[in-house]
Amino acid sequence: MLARIITGLSAGAAYALVAVGVVLIFKCTRVLSIAQGEIGAFGFFIGLRWAARGIPGLGWHPARFTTLVIAVVVGAVLGGLIERIVIRPLVDRPPLDALIATLGIALFLALLEKELFGTATQFAPSPVGEWKVTVLGATLIAPRIVALAAAAAVALAVFLFFSRTRFGLAVRATTGDSTVAQLMGVRVNRVYRFAWVTAGALAGLAAALLGPAFGGLTPFAMTSFSLRALAGAVIGGLDSIWGAIVGSLLVGVLEAVVGGQFTTPGTAELAVLLLVIGTLVARPQGLLGTEGAT
Amino acid sequence: MPASRVATVVAVVATIGGSLLLGDVKLSILVGVIVTAIAALGLDVLVARTGELSLAHAAFLGVGAFTAINVGSRGAPWPVAILVAVATTAAAATIAGLPSLRIHGLQVAITTLAFQEFADVFLFTRTDVTAAGRTWERPAFLRTDVRLYLFALSLLTLVLIVRHRVAVTKAGRTFLAVRDIEDRARVFGVEPGPSKLLAYAISGAIVGLGGSLFALKAGSISAKDPFLLLESLQLVAILVVGGTGSAAGIVTASVLVKGLPQFISTIPFTHLKPDRIVPITSAGLLVVAVVAAPEGIGGVYRAAGRLLDRLTGARRRERPEPRPHVVEAGADGATMLPHVERPLSLRMPVPALLEAHDVRVEYGGVTALDGVSLEVRRGEIVGLIGANGAGKSTFFNAVSGLAPASGSIRFRGVELVGRRASIRSALGTSRTFQDLGLVRAESVQENVLLAQTWLARYAAPVGILGLGGTVRTERELRKRGAIALEVFGLDHLARERVGALPYGTMRIVEIAAAVAAGPDLLLLDEATAGLGPEESHELGDRFLAIRDELGLTLVIVEHHVPLVARVCDYAYCLESGVLIAEGKPLDVTADPRVVESFLGRAGTASSGADR
Amino acid sequence: MSGAPLETLLAVEHLCSGYGSLQVLFNVDLDVRAGEVVALMGSNGAGKTTTLRAITGQLRKTAGTVRFAGVDVTRERTEALVARGISVVPEGRGMLRDLTVAENLEVGGYAMRDRRALIEATDRAYTSFPILGERRDQKAGRLSGGQQQMLAVARALMSNPQLLLVDEASLGLSPVMTETVFALIADVRRTSGTAVLLVEQNAGALDLADRAFVLEKGQVVDRAAGAEMRAMQRRLRDAYLGRREAE
Repeated sequence: MLARIITGLSAGAAYALVAVGVVLIFKCTRVLSIAQGEIGAFGFFIGLRWAARGIPGLGWHPARFTTLVIAVVVGAVLGGLIERIVIRPLVDRPPLDALIATLGIALFLALLEKELFGTATQFAPSPVGEWKVTVLGATLIAPRIVALAAAAAVALAVFLFFSRTRFGLAVRATTGDSTVAQLMGVRVNRVYRFAWVTAGALAGLAAALLGPAFGGLTPFAMTSFSLRALAGAVIGGLDSIWGAIVGSLLVGVLEAVVGGQFTTPGTAELAVLLLVIGTLVARPQGLLGTEGAT
Repeated sequence: MPASRVATVVAVVATIGGSLLLGDVKLSILVGVIVTAIAALGLDVLVARTGELSLAHAAFLGVGAFTAINVGSRGAPWPVAILVAVATTAAAATIAGLPSLRIHGLQVAITTLAFQEFADVFLFTRTDVTAAGRTWERPAFLRTDVRLYLFALSLLTLVLIVRHRVAVTKAGRTFLAVRDIEDRARVFGVEPGPSKLLAYAISGAIVGLGGSLFALKAGSISAKDPFLLLESLQLVAILVVGGTGSAAGIVTASVLVKGLPQFISTIPFTHLKPDRIVPITSAGLLVVAVVAAPEGIGGVYRAAGRLLDRLTGARRRERPEPRPHVVEAGADGATMLPHVERPLSLRMPVPALLEAHDVRVEYGGVTALDGVSLEVRRGEIVGLIGANGAGKSTFFNAVSGLAPASGSIRFRGVELVGRRASIRSALGTSRTFQDLGLVRAESVQENVLLAQTWLARYAAPVGILGLGGTVRTERELRKRGAIALEVFGLDHLARERVGALPYGTMRIVEIAAAVAAGPDLLLLDEATAGLGPEESHELGDRFLAIRDELGLTLVIVEHHVPLVARVCDYAYCLESGVLIAEGKPLDVTADPRVVESFLGRAGTASSGADR
Repeated sequence: MSGAPLETLLAVEHLCSGYGSLQVLFNVDLDVRAGEVVALMGSNGAGKTTTLRAITGQLRKTAGTVRFAGVDVTRERTEALVARGISVVPEGRGMLRDLTVAENLEVGGYAMRDRRALIEATDRAYTSFPILGERRDQKAGRLSGGQQQMLAVARALMSNPQLLLVDEASLGLSPVMTETVFALIADVRRTSGTAVLLVEQNAGALDLADRAFVLEKGQVVDRAAGAEMRAMQRRLRDAYLGRREAE
């Protein structure tokens, strides 16, 4: 049981990386992006293609690490492009329009991946080595450990960014009231771009870690990962970064625990689904979200 | 008949006629296209009319198809199988729509996404659900592909008829009202909750019909791809590329996205791989359409139709303004609203039509109305003035049931406090809103019909089927609406989209709609806001005419105090939720407390210096 | 104060604007000279806030020009105005409710890149408004209405503006609090020489204004300066409450 919870937490940590991006985008631009998973996966596939294969016999080769770097960079660039080309023109339109646009982007990227890289599962050597750690009966492979560490690092970075930096303050001002922020000289378009670029980079990081942890990725596989991240963000509250992290961990744990108890396929998904709908109906703003924010 | 309609009929007939010349293989492809088109048209009922997005419509298509096979393969006659499939899918969609009673927009979209995911991994992996190994034999009369194709076409036609019936009856109007002005629509007699669920049910029923057709064509289903998340996304793509609300656009988009790849692959010696190119292109087009062409293919059709009509002279541009004065209500008008003899300038010794006693309204700890007592007598025009935030609109909300009030509000002796908003119009109150209670995407005529919702005393589903005298009721309501438009000099604009009219005209449309609902008491909230000086003056004349010629009692919330002085018999002034003055308008505006309320202390100081 | 020819700071000419098909402003002309307090009066819906939004670029101007300190800023982006020396106390105070008092002030000084200048400006704000200093770590949303209004003014002054635009400072405040806020604004002009454009419904604003414009239905229908202000107060009452026939 404890082992399952720990495995679940490591998966949840990877979802959290995507979910933090989803929330960042939502807080800043009021857009719910369901393309984050595919943005990350696209980066991951490009990274795989370009990264040199590791040297046999060595557990880890620096070249493999470039997969991760490329995934992050491609994710960030894609995020920035999408913000500029697709999202900005939709500013004054109903929120569902932007949602549909991100849906189209998700579909487009997934199909493009299929064209470029085929439908076979892309086996990914771990970008962070092949070591393992056993904690309380749970054996975690390196990418899962790094996902946990990365989620913790992101949480810390988010905290420092928002509390200590000038630009972090500008982002908070923009999410509080973009008109007031503008009047005070904050260039809100930069804030919007920042949100999308950061979210893209986090999605790339998540995909680079999730790919190896889940034994490879196929096009569209990230969509189902990003659905879990989305579930985490919604449960935690779409306008709360901490909520996104808590919600994602909850989703990961729930999935691992329920999936372990019941063998019927789909039971874990059903549990997550019920949690999402239950949260939305009982507390539409999510666990840590602000009332009326969504 | 306008040229655009002739062109449409010719195009449809030619397309169907031409398609019949195609071989069996291609007809079979076309049946598949029609399945997709029906599913997309069902999704469109939800998206275009309620504004909610469903990402689970492929799952609903699956529910329909699997149900049809399960029932049909057990020997039930084909109409029974189809009916059961339609009902089951409608029920499934209604259940999936339940969260929309609590939440909106993005969150609803997420719950449907969750529903689709649940179907993908849970429902459609169960062999008892998917009727694995079972086969539904096609009935004898549908054995050939041509016949199946004709049958599919007739189902498509049925769907189009249902969509049309939804659009022209209470159902469609209330859907749009709930989408655009949910709370405000309640004063017309609209019940938002049941209305939303009905939209899900209709949408589900249509998709269920598509699922049945899928099952009829396939006989048995082994691959569940057509019912998975990807397909739901594809349906949204077809909808957006085709253009929400446009049946022609959606059918065209279905042909392009679903049919084209398969047609191309039947051409010999082609090296194109359309089954790979088309999906990715449609995904790309979806993004382009959302950003650059939100009306999609339907928008192109509409523009072409307008151009054709303009070229053939079938369409004239009307001046988007009402004729200046209220036309005297003639014989027809008199049947609409009883003519009452009056003009009065004194407070009449008649019983009060509206008596408010100690009305309190609190919003989350803030007291918006703090024990207001006032009365309105039959045949009066009563003014309600006060600075911003004084509680004037809150008082209207209390009367019309949009704000939780305590105390007593008696209308014609009937207690209103505690009653639902949706029945107050039936009791005889009607109102307008500061920010317009109009569905801007709809025509003037439809808005007037919407305001009469409480008069459409039939169940919305019955109306769609056109049973039980609903056709006659609708005809009567239309006539009533036409009279109201004529009275307000708006009849030439009946078919114009409200959102395209100048602001001042929209104000008059809203008042005409409120009057069409046949009230005794009309509450007008800031009717002159956003109007120029001449327009405001004219509107004042209309207030007098509504009272004198149509016999209504009016309460007007007005910032423009000179207008109140001109048209009102009696006035009340509110400040911070408390009544501070009442009396004849000129006395009220001279009251030092009123002056201070409007101008601050400096105002009273200077008025003191004057004397 | 009206005698000396002062430099024109803000000049708005033939300004037209609105929301969608709704035109709200019709050829609005007004000006503010360096160091003076100008009141833009009008009842609800007269177009006061719309005028301010159009000047600051939050609303599209369909016609007209806006010049500030001799420079055409008609098409200037909202974000750039603060660097030019225009600062705004927004309608409804514009509190960033989840940010602390200190953070709100820091946002007010966002345009200043110099860290030291920011600290000086913050100290200045705490000196002028000691209550804000006491509550510097409190969330702005938890301040009282009057304190929020102080913070809004203090925040706008962080960037050392030449012109302060104040949108309905009295809205939602008690009469006593309103007088306090007006006194505060009078102080601002006295101590820093910042010009102020007060957009107000409350006629109390006329007591501290050097000149005034009256807006009605989106048009400037009246203007006054100096000794004429008294007569304007009377006219304003008529505009709000209707002309009384020979009393």
